[in-house]
Amino acid sequence: MTTHPDDYIKPELMACCGAREIKDYDLVIVGTGFPAMAANIAKYTHAPNALMMQESGVFDATPKRPALSVGDPCLNPGAAMIGGLVEIMGMFLQTGQVDVGFLSGSQVDKFGNINTTVIGDYDHPKSRLPGSGGANPIGSLVKKTLIIALHDTRRLSEKVDFITTPGYIDGPGARERWGLEPNTGPHMIVTNKAVLNFDENTKEAYLASYHPDSSVDEIVALTPWDLKVAQDVHETEPPTAEELRVMREIIDPARMIKIYENRGYV
Amino acid sequence: MSKIMTMKEAISQHVKNGDFLFMGGYICRPPTSAIHEIIRQKIRDLTITRSNAADDFDMLIGAGCVKRFIATFLSLGLYGLARCYRRSLEKGIPHKIEVEEYSNLSLPMMLMAGAMGMPFVPVKDMVGSDLLNIKSFMGENKYKMIESPFDGSPTLLVPALNPDVAIIHVQQADEEGNAQIWGIGGDCKYGANASKKVIVSCERIVSREIIGKDPSRTIVPSFKAVAVVEETFGAHPGYTPGFYDVDFSFGYLYQQASNTVEGFQDFLKEWVFDIEDRTAYVQHYIERFGYAQFKKLEAEFDYGYPVSYAY
Repeated sequence: MTTHPDDYIKPELMACCGAREIKDYDLVIVGTGFPAMAANIAKYTHAPNALMMQESGVFDATPKRPALSVGDPCLNPGAAMIGGLVEIMGMFLQTGQVDVGFLSGSQVDKFGNINTTVIGDYDHPKSRLPGSGGANPIGSLVKKTLIIALHDTRRLSEKVDFITTPGYIDGPGARERWGLEPNTGPHMIVTNKAVLNFDENTKEAYLASYHPDSSVDEIVALTPWDLKVAQDVHETEPPTAEELRVMREIIDPARMIKIYENRGYV
Repeated sequence: MSKIMTMKEAISQHVKNGDFLFMGGYICRPPTSAIHEIIRQKIRDLTITRSNAADDFDMLIGAGCVKRFIATFLSLGLYGLARCYRRSLEKGIPHKIEVEEYSNLSLPMMLMAGAMGMPFVPVKDMVGSDLLNIKSFMGENKYKMIESPFDGSPTLLVPALNPDVAIIHVQQADEEGNAQIWGIGGDCKYGANASKKVIVSCERIVSREIIGKDPSRTIVPSFKAVAVVEETFGAHPGYTPGFYDVDFSFGYLYQQASNTVEGFQDFLKEWVFDIEDRTAYVQHYIERFGYAQFKKLEAEFDYGYPVSYAY
């Protein structure tokens, strides 16, 4: 019998939403924070044969502490293979072999396009952000992209200021017209309020489930496009006792995931 | 022929105003010490590149050394947005640098093409994004979109890069510059080999015989190297596998300092201009934070099974 303790924090729930999308034997390219947490939950629960890699050059790392960057020292000892960007991004990712990628964005739109470059005009930025890094190739080339975002009318938008990483670009067929592989693209946006999935026909994100302390009305109000709601919209399944145990005892005993609460993921 | 020299000599002899520099590292093994020396020597109008840049590139930009940046990403990682980079692009302080933007697939591939003598390379990313709608100093040569001559499919080509000088920090090298790394590689191998000459900064200089005990680790051959500099702790506050850990508290210190122009200038004075070389830097670090803190960064030893190349 699955139990759901009620002492979880929102970032833990979000990490679980990501973890549940990883299947056994998936190849997963991960960043730090949520992505690494989600991938590890999956590995310790339902997907023990999932294999992870970091863009910096690491395959199948065995970190003894949560990695704080994709180049973190703890990724080195024990990894199955270490090369560089050309090996991971070129040889593994560009060849279409990676199943799942996790991305977060300062701004995400209804087609799952992600902006991590600039807020405002490119030449006269209101706020200059870091840039693509690995995000563009990951969002272009993995089979399934999972997106982490804060749920408010600034972070989510009808149309991003700058497409750093393509989601479905401007709608159905756009990825294919640009030469990206068919059946790739954003699969889910996990926010601190809800899980959004993408409509197969319109390629627009719609509300699939609302987190336990939220509601359909609240989420519709916090979403700056005409958000469609799934017929079977339901409450997001909270973390199970086993998922929480794995997070707190194995992956992140220091509970570093709490820093996301300070970043607004509540 | 020995190419061993000081960092001061290596930079003054091999890096000049207006050069195009590749500086390797990916949190792992950034050539921080060399970057401090470039700032001390007030070299200007540089074009700089690396996939995933961090505090070291931010510092070069804030110090006014940079004219152009072939970029994929610049942030202070855990500590958020890069302050000097933002001030440059948002407010023109100390001046607005020109940025040509690629990604962590396309840029490494451009360096690989450069290392291989290929004029350009097809890549499968960037299409459909605004990265194709912005062109800076590379103009129309930033990329070309063509129909594949083989099957007519849309194909993105990006040009090879051949920097004037590469600066990398490695674990060990011999006196002629055969350079060896282990651990996360980033774009070091191709960036260095794409460049016309390479400055090798290393934690320790070893004999040619030691290099030969595990030659598969060599990423740069001696004939590419023009200088070999032994710089212990040379990647700090980044890390070098097997030598020392990332210094997270120093990363925070830099972020706090670089929050304001004044704070950044004070940081440069304390850690760059008033410091003569890496030995003085380590000394200052120990005086400032104590030996225990310095010692805490030191890596544990966990040797692997020695490999044999014998036949």
